[in-house]
Formats: sequence, structure tokens, C-alpha cells
Amino acid sequence: MHELGILSAMVKTIQTVAEQEQLQRIEKIVLQVGELSGVVPSYLESCYPAAVYKTFMENTALELEIVPGIARCNDCGAEFNAVACDLQCPECASQNLTALSGRDLVIKEIQGC
Amino acid sequence: MKEVRVLEIKQSIFADNDREADKVRSELKEKKVFLLNLMSSPGSGKTTTLTRTIEQLKDRLRIGIMEADIDSDVDARTIAELGVRTIQLHTGGMCHLDADMTRQGLQGIGTDELDLVVLENVGNLVCPAEFDTGAVKNAMILSVPEGHDKPLKYPLMFSICDVVLINKVDVLPYFDFDMDKCREYVHMRNPNAQVIPICARTGEGMEAWTAWLEQQVRAWQNDDQ
Repeated sequence: MHELGILSAMVKTIQTVAEQEQLQRIEKIVLQVGELSGVVPSYLESCYPAAVYKTFMENTALELEIVPGIARCNDCGAEFNAVACDLQCPECASQNLTALSGRDLVIKEIQGC
Repeated sequence: MKEVRVLEIKQSIFADNDREADKVRSELKEKKVFLLNLMSSPGSGKTTTLTRTIEQLKDRLRIGIMEADIDSDVDARTIAELGVRTIQLHTGGMCHLDADMTRQGLQGIGTDELDLVVLENVGNLVCPAEFDTGAVKNAMILSVPEGHDKPLKYPLMFSICDVVLINKVDVLPYFDFDMDKCREYVHMRNPNAQVIPICARTGEGMEAWTAWLEQQVRAWQNDDQ
């Protein structure tokens, strides 16, 4: 459900872009999915056909790029992959972290004509 | 046949919703209406907290309530009995409200002659945090039985909330809920969040919450925000 709602929001955002750019047909979109965005890439892929069903994006292809979730420890300053380290600093075990990358869901690219 | 173009967009998936939300906010600003987005998990006491809040504020503020649920209208009926303007919104299976649905709700309830509209979002700590509804402030309720570790498990929700109400403090003796730890975890996610312990059932702590809310509404109406 979470991924379906997010993709429905994406369809609206892409519709606005398509109108501005006067695109008649969209072939493919490339999404950047942050590891800390809370979204499961395989679920995005599996509910994509349902999200675009009977919209102007039906029959478009989806490509995902995963953006690593890098965090900095607010206590000792170490930088590390937050997902691999289970949201805990590998140096000092602090859970007081600031995400440096990987929180966002970004439409990187639209291919169409 | 036209050639396929590659457009570098670099826009958030939520860009369209965020623009719509900003529009909702500026319309509310013009009408001097304050919109609060109230979120929590199911069963944390949103409707009971709202009932108490309305009782304490209805003589000082003109209040409207938008109840969002996947189905049913039990919450709207409960609130309507208090004599405030109420509308029930059905999300049609969706687990959150977006800015467009919020706008439709505001049109439905009619914001003329209202100071405060509270949107009771769908009970869920995940999806509602992703979607800006156009609210002026975000509030959430965490109830004692849910545990003090929730800010660690649902970081986005706690990072977007301006105020966190810790509800059901009357049952603290029966749970391993550490209030200090909870505050620490909330502030790790959001150093600016207000944490207010309350018990909607007994009324404990409710004055601190309603005073905060009334002050926010007045500041919004007086152009301080």
C-alpha cells in the first residue's frame, strides 16, 4: 500500500512535467530510490503496473537506481552505510545519526517524445 | 515520428503534491484559518484527545474537524455530538491523505468563519509522514502502550512533527515506558519538537497542549508565521 500511494503521487508529478514539456508519449522513467527512504524497491516494481493502469503512463518502463544510505555519527563523526550498520555507529555504537544521503525518492529522468 | 528525448528532471516524486500543499497553505493564510494535521497509529487516542481539545477550546476558537478514514463514519459522529463542524473523508483504500484530498475536504467543510481546522489523518505512522497535506503544523500522538522506542522505528514521522503528545500517561505504572528515553529519541529525530505528556481520558496535561495549540493559531492569524 505504501509504495502504491507513493507511485500515484509520482504519476501526478510526471503529468505536470509532461504537460510543461509537451510530451505526447512517455517510454521510460528512471527513479532514484534512497536506501533510507523507507521504500522497498521490489515492491515499487511489483505495484508499478497497478499505479499506472489506465493513466497516460500505462505501458511505460520503470528503471530504479538505488542511492546508498550514508549517515554521519553526531557523537564521533564517523561516516558509514547506515543500512549495513543497522542504524548504529560502527565506531562508538551511537544511534544519534544524521542522514547524508539516501532519504529521498527522486524522478531522475523521463524518456519520451 | 518524433525522436525520443531524455529529460533530466531531478524532482522529488512528491513535487506535485508539495506544490499543491503550498497552495493550500497560502489560501488558508489568506483566510486566517489554521490547519493542524494530527497523526498517530490506530488506537493511540486521536479521537478522544480531539474530543477533550474541542471541549477546552470551543469557547475561544471556532473549530472544524475533518475525519479521514479508509471507511466508516464512527469518528465523525462522535465529534459531531460536540456541536462543531465536522466532515468525514474516505480515502478509498489509501493509507494517507494528500494535499489534493485535503483541499477537497476543506471545500466540503467550508472554512468561512473558522479559526482552526483539525485533520485527523488515517491511523498510520508511515505513509502520512510522506505527504504534505498543506497543514500549518503537524502533530502526532504516541500512546504509552506503544513503547518509547517508536521514534527510532518511525524516524520520518517524528522528524516532521512540531509537537508529539505522549498519551495515556495514566497507565505508565503498568508499562516499561521510559519518558526520558522517549524525549531523547524524539529530539534525536527532531530537536525542535515539543513533547507534551497527556492523558486524554483524565484530562491530565491537556492545558499545556491546548495552550500550545491556541498560541499557534493566534500567531498564524496575526502574521507571526
